[in-house]
Amino acid sequence: MSKNNKGAVRPKLEQEGFFGRLSYFTSRAFANLRQNVFVSAVTVGTIALALLIASLFLLVYVNLDGMAEGWSDKVQVTAYFDQEPAPLAVAALKGRVQAIPGTSKVLFVSQAEAEKRLRSRLKGQESLLEGITPDVLPASLEIRLDREHRDTDSVAAYVKKLKQIQGISEVQYGEEWVKRFNSFMNLFRLMGALLGSFLTITVLFIVSNTIKLTIYARKDELELLGLVGATRFFIKAPFLIEGVLQGAAGAVISLLALLGCYFAFLKNAGDFLGINPASAGLSFLPATHLAGVVLGGVLLGFIGSATSLKRFINV
Amino acid sequence: MIQMHNVFLSYQPESSALSDINLKIPKGDFVFLTGQSGAGKSTLLKLIYADLTPTRGQVLIDGVNLTRLSRSQVPLLRRSIGVVFQDYKLLPNRTVLENVAITLEVLGWGKRDIGKKVYHILKRMGIEDKINATPLRLSGGEQQRVALARALVNDPKILVADEPTGNLDDENKEAILSIFKEANNRGTTVVVATHDRRVIENSHRRVIRLDKGAIVDTPDLFVGQAATEATMLEVPDVQE
Repeated sequence: MSKNNKGAVRPKLEQEGFFGRLSYFTSRAFANLRQNVFVSAVTVGTIALALLIASLFLLVYVNLDGMAEGWSDKVQVTAYFDQEPAPLAVAALKGRVQAIPGTSKVLFVSQAEAEKRLRSRLKGQESLLEGITPDVLPASLEIRLDREHRDTDSVAAYVKKLKQIQGISEVQYGEEWVKRFNSFMNLFRLMGALLGSFLTITVLFIVSNTIKLTIYARKDELELLGLVGATRFFIKAPFLIEGVLQGAAGAVISLLALLGCYFAFLKNAGDFLGINPASAGLSFLPATHLAGVVLGGVLLGFIGSATSLKRFINV
Repeated sequence: MIQMHNVFLSYQPESSALSDINLKIPKGDFVFLTGQSGAGKSTLLKLIYADLTPTRGQVLIDGVNLTRLSRSQVPLLRRSIGVVFQDYKLLPNRTVLENVAITLEVLGWGKRDIGKKVYHILKRMGIEDKINATPLRLSGGEQQRVALARALVNDPKILVADEPTGNLDDENKEAILSIFKEANNRGTTVVVATHDRRVIENSHRRVIRLDKGAIVDTPDLFVGQAATEATMLEVPDVQE
C-alpha cells in the first residue's frame, strides 16, 4: 500500500512543444464546434448576416464611388494660345505642361483642328459657319489631370502654374462644375463614412453580443476547466481558435450570399436603375475588399471571443 | 498537509461564512467535514482548492500559503487537488471519456495515454462500459462515479468532495465510500463534506464539525496540537 502519492507523471506527447499545443488547441476547437453545433451555427449565421449587410453596403458604395470617379474624368483644363505656336514650339510647350505635377495627358488642338471639330458638331447647320475661317478659333492644349489632382484646390493651383507658361493667354476648366462636383464627392464620402461607421458599430454590437451569449451558454465548461487546473491561456486558446474559425466561416458564407445576390439582382441593376448606362451593370467587389471582408470576419470572431472570455474566466 | 490559521471569510460585510477556523489535516488523512446546511462546509472546501480566499487568516497546503499565491500559480495548485463537486459539474455535451480526460488534457497528456488512463480509472469505478455515453444517459450513481474518476484520474495529493453521497442509494454510497478509502490507501489526503450521519458512522474516520461557520467540539484539531488518525470525535447528531 503506497502512502506517497505524488500525482501522475505526464507521459510524453505525440508532438511536444508549440506545434503539439497548437495541434491540441485546434483539434479541441473543432471538437467544441462539433459538440456545440447549434450554438456555433447561431454564431456563424449572425456573423454571416452581419457581414452580408456590411458587404452589400460596401458593394454599392464601391460602385457609386467608381461611378462618381468616372465623372471626374470630365475635369479638363484647356489652355488657349494668343497665336498658334510653330510646330517645333508645340512639342516644347507640351513638355513644359507635362512637367507640371498632376498632368496626365496633353493634347494639342490646332486652329484647323478646332475648326474641323466645330464643323462636325454643327453638322446640318453649316450655314451658321459661313464666313468663319480657322484663324478665328484659337489653338489650345487640352489637359487631363491625375485623379489625385482633380479636387478644387489642386485644379486652381494647377491652373496658376499653367498661366505662367509664356504664350498661354487664357485657361478654362469649368470652375463651377469642378466645385460642385467636389462638394458632391465630399458629401458622398462623408455619408458613406457615417453610414459605414454606424453599420460597423451595429455589426460589432450584434456579433459581440451573440458571441457573449454563446460563451455564456458554456460558462460551466469555462468554470470547470479553471477548477481542474487549466491556465487562462489553456482555457482561452481553443475558444479563440473557435472564434477565428466561426468568423472566417461567417465571412465566406456572407461573400457567397453576396455573390448570389449579385448574380441574381445586382449585376444588371445599373441598366435597370439607369444610374450607370455606360457600363454593363454593377461590378463585384475587388479582391482586396473580399480579403478585407474575410479578415474582418476573422477579427470579429477573435476579438468578440477574447472580450467575452475575459468576463467568464476567473482563473 | 492542509492547515488553516485564524481563517475568517465573509461574503457580505455583516455576516461571516467562516469565523476563526483553525485546523490541521495531516498528509494521508481521511477527514469528514460535517454540519448543517449553511454551516460553511462547502466554503471551507473552496478555500482548500483556492476557489475562495479568506477575508482574514492563512490557508496552507503543503506549506504553501494560498493567500500569497499569485493568479498564475493557482492552476498549478489545483492540478494536485481532485475535486468532486456537489452538482458533479459534468459537461453534458461531452462523453464520459471526454469528461474524465479534461483533467489529463490540462496536464498536457497525449491522446493515446489519456485513453488508456481514463479506461483504467473507469474500470476501477466499474463504469468502463459507459465510456462513450454522455452524462445525461447515466444514473445519479454513475454520474457521481464519473465525477470521482475525473477527480482521481491524475492521482491527486488531495481529494475534496462536497456531499458526494447526497443523492445516492445505500449501495451506491457504499461503493463511492470504498473508492474514497482506496484513494486514501494510495496516499491521497481525503476531505469529504457531508451531513449524512450514516456515512460518517460507518467510516470510522476523523470528523470536523462546523456550526454557523465555526468549528465546534474539536479541540484536538486546533493548530499546534497534532491530530492523529486514532482521534475520533463523537458523531454529531445532525438534523437534515
